[in-house]
Amino acid sequence: MQRRKFLSLVGLGAVAMSAAPVALSATDWRADKPDVWTAHSVDDAIKAMFGSKAITEGDVTVTTPDVAANGGAVPVNVKSGIKAKTVSVFQDANPESAVIVFDCNEYSIINYDMKMKLKSVGEPITVTCVVEGTDGKLYLGKRTLDVALGGCEG
Amino acid sequence: MKVKAKLKNGVVSVKCMAKHVMTTYDIAAKQTGNRDDANFITHISASVNGKTVWEASTSQFLAKNPIFKYKFSGVGAKGDKVEMHWVDRKGKTGKGKGKIK
Repeated sequence: MQRRKFLSLVGLGAVAMSAAPVALSATDWRADKPDVWTAHSVDDAIKAMFGSKAITEGDVTVTTPDVAANGGAVPVNVKSGIKAKTVSVFQDANPESAVIVFDCNEYSIINYDMKMKLKSVGEPITVTCVVEGTDGKLYLGKRTLDVALGGCEG
Repeated sequence: MKVKAKLKNGVVSVKCMAKHVMTTYDIAAKQTGNRDDANFITHISASVNGKTVWEASTSQFLAKNPIFKYKFSGVGAKGDKVEMHWVDRKGKTGKGKGKIK
């Protein structure tokens, strides 16, 4: 079955190649800044991503339920009106704090919904979103919630 | 992967789902005893008419079969396709597309 799939991919070589460049020209923050993804605390992850730049609370809204019933899939929305270069989301419950880094361009509207795993650690946890503006400044928004059970252990 | 896109008032709203086990290192250690068996999407992106409209580098902490919603404007008309692509930790890729309605 897998060989057939591979052969059909080769056959569609031309189409596959035209799809590839989107990924090739993309920014891969995991490759560019590996320390961000291994950092345990939110502060360390932010420092690994941006250095010791000043961050101010700004037009960044993080929305989650007050209590996440299923820690394996917590709905999180981040919204901002700021013209951004990147949008990063961190949390302080899981073994590592970085969850996702979005790259933004002239077409982007910052209103992202995602479902993330959040570990239940017996106390409220905070999801932090840092928006890196095209003005070079960093803006932050956060949201604290409770996670009922489950989490990144599934 | 499934991609649904709607154009309204100049803004395209997309809802998409990637089918992926998204196992964390801890989950992999529990399942097979080997942390390196963990597999999760590491990069995902979307483009319309060759222009990137959404892009993210991702960690082990997204949910299984992750669903994303995002919006963009300035490119894409009804009938155009939103093409999506993801890569995971083991180098496997996935893709999907949806017509803007």
